[in-house]
Amino acid sequence: MAAPSAILPSTAFSEELRRRGGATAARCYQCATCSGVCELAPEDSPFPRRQMLWAQWGLADRLAAHPAVWLCYQCNDCTQRCPRDARPGDVLQILRALAIEGLAFPRVLGQLVGRAATTWPILIGAPILFWIVLLASTGLLSVPKGTLVYGDFVPHWLIYSVFFPVAGWVMYASWVSGRGFWNLLGDGSPRSGSFLLHLLPVLTEIATHKRFASCEAARPRRLGHLLLLWGFVGAAITSGLLVVALYGFHTELPLPLEHPFKILGNVSGVLLVVGGVLLVRNRLTDGERTGTSTAFDTFFLTVVLAVIATGVLSEVGRFAFPAELACALYVVHLGVVLSLFLTFPYSKFAHLLYRTLALVHGRMTTPPAPAEG
Amino acid sequence: MERLGVFLCTGCGIGQALNLEGLGAVAKELRAAACITHPCLCAPEGVEAIRSALAGDELGGILLAACSPRAKQAEFRFDPTRVAVERVSLREHVVWSHPAGEEDTQLLAEDLLRMGMVRLAKMTTPKPQVEAIERTVLVVGGGVAGLEAARAAAGAGHPVVLVEAQERLGGHLAGLRHLVPERPPYDAPHPNRLPELIADLLAHPQVRIFTSSQLRGIAGQPGQFRVEVETPQGMQSFAVGAIVQATGAHPYEAPKLSHLGYSHSPNIMTSHELEAMLRDGILRRPSDLRPPQRVVFIQCAGSRDPQHLAYCSAECCATTLKQVAVIHREFPGVETVVLYRDMRTPGQLERFYQAVQEQPGSLFARGEVERVEGNGAGPLTVYLKDSLLGNAVALPADLVVLAVGMVPNAADGEAIRALHDAERRAATGESETQRAEARKVVEQLAAHEGTEILHLDYRQGPDLPALKYGFPDSHFICFPYETRRTGIYAAGTMRAPMDAAQAAEDGWGAAMKAVQCVAALSRGEAVHPRSGDLGIPDFFLQRCTQCKRCTEECPFGTLNEDAKGTPQLNPLRCRRCGICMGACPERIISFPDYSVDGVASMIKAMSVPEDVEEKPRIVALLCENDALPALDVAASQRRRWNPWVRVIPIRCLGSTNIVWIADALSRGIDGMVLIGCRYGDDYQCHYVRGSELAHTRLGNVQETLQRLALEPERIKVVELAHDEYGRIPEILDEFATDLEKLGPSPLKGF
Repeated sequence: MAAPSAILPSTAFSEELRRRGGATAARCYQCATCSGVCELAPEDSPFPRRQMLWAQWGLADRLAAHPAVWLCYQCNDCTQRCPRDARPGDVLQILRALAIEGLAFPRVLGQLVGRAATTWPILIGAPILFWIVLLASTGLLSVPKGTLVYGDFVPHWLIYSVFFPVAGWVMYASWVSGRGFWNLLGDGSPRSGSFLLHLLPVLTEIATHKRFASCEAARPRRLGHLLLLWGFVGAAITSGLLVVALYGFHTELPLPLEHPFKILGNVSGVLLVVGGVLLVRNRLTDGERTGTSTAFDTFFLTVVLAVIATGVLSEVGRFAFPAELACALYVVHLGVVLSLFLTFPYSKFAHLLYRTLALVHGRMTTPPAPAEG
Repeated sequence: MERLGVFLCTGCGIGQALNLEGLGAVAKELRAAACITHPCLCAPEGVEAIRSALAGDELGGILLAACSPRAKQAEFRFDPTRVAVERVSLREHVVWSHPAGEEDTQLLAEDLLRMGMVRLAKMTTPKPQVEAIERTVLVVGGGVAGLEAARAAAGAGHPVVLVEAQERLGGHLAGLRHLVPERPPYDAPHPNRLPELIADLLAHPQVRIFTSSQLRGIAGQPGQFRVEVETPQGMQSFAVGAIVQATGAHPYEAPKLSHLGYSHSPNIMTSHELEAMLRDGILRRPSDLRPPQRVVFIQCAGSRDPQHLAYCSAECCATTLKQVAVIHREFPGVETVVLYRDMRTPGQLERFYQAVQEQPGSLFARGEVERVEGNGAGPLTVYLKDSLLGNAVALPADLVVLAVGMVPNAADGEAIRALHDAERRAATGESETQRAEARKVVEQLAAHEGTEILHLDYRQGPDLPALKYGFPDSHFICFPYETRRTGIYAAGTMRAPMDAAQAAEDGWGAAMKAVQCVAALSRGEAVHPRSGDLGIPDFFLQRCTQCKRCTEECPFGTLNEDAKGTPQLNPLRCRRCGICMGACPERIISFPDYSVDGVASMIKAMSVPEDVEEKPRIVALLCENDALPALDVAASQRRRWNPWVRVIPIRCLGSTNIVWIADALSRGIDGMVLIGCRYGDDYQCHYVRGSELAHTRLGNVQETLQRLALEPERIKVVELAHDEYGRIPEILDEFATDLEKLGPSPLKGF
């Protein structure tokens, strides 16, 4: 047997955990009630007991290299059953936030979002301010006369010239972070099969929220989360189609209400609103299940809700509000959407990236289960 | 006993189930001076009927054929010095447990009546000797348990003498700044409250304190102990009534823990050495006097390890928690790691554990410490195996603290005596082989030389008998402070590993027992379990053969010996269990209301159908402490058992004299079952060794049976606890079935 390697408990990590509200991890005495009650924990590698232990020792490397924290949907069954009130659900949430920050490219942006408790005015205010300055500097900051058409207020070319580079940057940053994560995962254990081939079932799983459903306790949150996901997907598809329509077919905007693209966009909007309302209601009515909300968590939720709210209000406001108000709302909307875009790799939003990768990694490292029956 | 009265109660269904005329005829056949039937004997009218019969007919003994002797004790209390009382459980042992109106049931009732009558006839009333009883309580040891014991006894109005070997009072707690939390919310160390306790006692007019003093002798018996103490002022002699031994414990010797490197580096210390540093507000590495960055605590250092201390010392986990809490409070920035096998924080200490766990910089990790490496002032590494991290771990440390367990400051009285006996044999033995063997024993027991603490003048040794880990024997289930020496009570860490809070409580408990003992002796009564018993054993010494079985087997060291080996009774040490009576081959030991002859007569009085085709007869000897109450419970639940069984209550299975078995079998009794308490390491025998002795004696009997061509299965010994009452009917029924298979006793009709 090789000589045991020196292991140093990391007080710096413990301090960071404590700062983010994860001091309860210290209470854990490893009874494994949490792993026992978790419906999502794989039998051969249950969590979160082990993650709690690593968190106590501050073994950041092991935590980063293990996909388990990403498999949790934070139903907080573990937190409710924990005999020592160590709150594993909360701890895992904080570990995910730490991982997102640790993997962020560039690191400084990760830290900026990671400290959302203090930086949120910048994170939300700066993009809005950016739009105001941009519009002002291009001489566009004036409410158009007549029937309000947002295209007259902020020309589409301006929107695209902002969002295309931003999208490109976000994809690049996500690529770098995702690659970093992918290389850490599993501590170099061999994977088998093709990434894309395994990605497909994972995407189906995400699209249907099948895993979400397998966690009994998380089920009330499933519908809201699913609607939100599809709302965003719908909104993204609509945006894509609009670009094609606008520049490919020179379609006139705004589209009439009965236009299929418009319908798709509005349906997505409805999904987002209903999903958002469901999730907020869940949070408000079932505090214990929700776990402790950290600023990191709240920031992301606020931005999402702000995007939905300002989007809907802008659309309605075009007809219902005075043009000044509608335009102001529209600028705020563009601002928070930009904020959502820019913080994607650094906010809770990034769980979409890391969870997907963790699930693909899981599929590529576990031998296929024998067919049932 | 002349002139006996029989009182038949017909209440509680007895009258409906039994033929009273038949019972009356039995009473007449036994020549009862009076036979009174009453519909409710325990009612004031019934008790009055007994009292007037006692006065009118000048009865010397009365037989109450009613309910169990455990029921209605207040109603049926008569002056024990004037009238002997025997009670027959018609209600429990007959009516509640057997079908009404059947022949077998009636035969059973009549037999029980006969047996009760002859037993009563053999009784005498005790003549209590009122002796001068000293009320002073001696407390040996001035640690927290002893101090609390002294305060409790003095508070109860008893003069107290406290003897402490050290110069100052307080034991391990002396000078400590902090104690483990004892009050809500149990989350932070408490200031040490010992100074107030000591001040209290020093100011108490009833308490005399001898420090730097040693016991040199304790002679006599409880209530009249004569104590010699060597003090700096010279020898002091005084009398005491009862003794609390609270001599504490000492830490296990850390140098023996070679794998933990105690002797290799000054930076590896015991928790006691750390405690001394923290007491002075210091935390530094002895090698360079610099503050440590990381302190690693190793729990169970040598504890729960068969190589060192096989037991858990109960306080080390809490003490470590306290030290960790103090370090984080007074030396912020120092990291602590506690390596444990199991954190044991019973009761509210769990809250303390949780609070300390949450301290920043404190880590608790489970695993087995394999070794500690490091020499001199060099760096230390603690190697952990079976850690929860799933692999071996090497943990660098600046300071390593070994949480060592405790070893009782007790002496093994029996071992010391065995040593002294062997020394005598080695010098004066008759043959060279004898002397050589004795020398071997002396060698084995050499470690006990000079370890005496109490210096008791007891035939069975100068100190309390000890259990295997060196703690004194104690009836830990029922009477935890009890030792095997009447009037001497053990408290604190010399009795069992415990923390300071428990030791304080122990001191109180033991003091209360001591006070109770003095009170009982003042009334001429036995202490429990036979509280209130006025009878003392009578030794008919003219027939004694000096076989020394009684002096050897008495669990309480009651008997000393003269030079020839004749037993010398110390009645105030006696617990009235009757184990000496069971041991005596000459049958010369008896109690006023309990004797070999009495029980033998009961066996002879029962009817044994001679026809081999007739029903078998079984004698059941039941210990009155657990088995008999258990049978009463079974009866109260209307459980049924075999009607051929005749139950005879006895004081302890250890009081069973082998002659009873011979008597029973020779009468043609088909089988005999003895039900007593559990024995062995977790014994429940109220007289400690009685049940075990009975098993040994009956083991020998079964060999004899085989020689007589009697099946050994005809004698059965069963261990039973009070709460196993459900088993009793099964035991009796099964035994009856087994006997039926064996067929009738071949000795029937001889």
